[in-house]
Amino acid sequence: MSEARTFKIKSTLARQLQDPGGSQVRDLERQATARLETHRDDAMAAVVATLDALDALCAEAAIDAGPRVYALASSIVDVAGYFDTGPLFHAAYSLCEVSDRMLQAETWHWPSIQVHTQALRLILASGCRVGRTSETLLAGLRSITQSR
Amino acid sequence: MARPSTPDRVNLARSKVLLVDHNQNSLDMLSSIFHGFGVKQQIKCGSTPEAVSIVETRDVDLVLIDCSMPEMDGYDFTRWLRRETEPPIRYTPVILLTGHAAQSKVRKGRDCGASFVVTKPLTPNVLLQRILWLGADERNLVECDTYVGPDRRVRSLGPPVGLPGRRSGDLSEHVGAATEANMDQTSIDMMMKPMKVAL
Repeated sequence: MSEARTFKIKSTLARQLQDPGGSQVRDLERQATARLETHRDDAMAAVVATLDALDALCAEAAIDAGPRVYALASSIVDVAGYFDTGPLFHAAYSLCEVSDRMLQAETWHWPSIQVHTQALRLILASGCRVGRTSETLLAGLRSITQSR
Repeated sequence: MARPSTPDRVNLARSKVLLVDHNQNSLDMLSSIFHGFGVKQQIKCGSTPEAVSIVETRDVDLVLIDCSMPEMDGYDFTRWLRRETEPPIRYTPVILLTGHAAQSKVRKGRDCGASFVVTKPLTPNVLLQRILWLGADERNLVECDTYVGPDRRVRSLGPPVGLPGRRSGDLSEHVGAATEANMDQTSIDMMMKPMKVAL
């Protein structure tokens, strides 16, 4: 077995961060948050389009559609994960989890996917608000994920 | 020794940042966040082969890449960067972004040599804190047959001194872990309060 070599390197990034001038950390956070917020409507439209694609896959119920379902669910997590979408993010994450587990186990169950897409639409329609409805929906999704 | 405090001002105006994501919405949002951070030189790539050719021809100071890229995923890209490129580009800080971590990818994430894996939900605050952490990174780099990248035993070191999140038990890179048994209180008292001895 070869010996591990350990050493320290100061990255160019570390040096640049300390360059004179610059801005207050809180100002940078505020600017970045404001710029990110301009994408919210487009992001939510992309989530709706992805849900449409998921519904189409569910209707088709093709045998080899599992990886495509996982990829679509992942893309919802990716986009929703930039905003405070609470239950929407968690429901999409649950869909990733259940489809990943079913792919690993090589058993596929379309009703588990359909329940998730319906829950995602309900959450989206309620403005991604946290409340008793969203908590009940997420609890139901968790029970599906745990049983798969 | 006084602890360095969290920097109030930071400067990313000169930094060249490579952003890689196959999801155009995500790439645009990430780019907006970095514009907000004051990064003027952004290189945006929608595919990993494109990112590979950028790294082979240009210097970059920071890479952010989505884990679930098609063709060559973020883990494989990082592994390639750490093993197949020449210094100094080999040691470029890499932040991997992940939404859902598939079970089959957990080990790849640990072993690829990324500086950080940041999971979503992601806020500009979290991202900037990780960049500041990279700026004050005390970790050694490790090179051996099976791994190239930052020392993964970060748990005992915790965040760099001065950044939020340090625990009382975190070790200091400067002092290190204790190598001998603790002194008993009598011995400490004797050192601190030397007393006259009547002969």
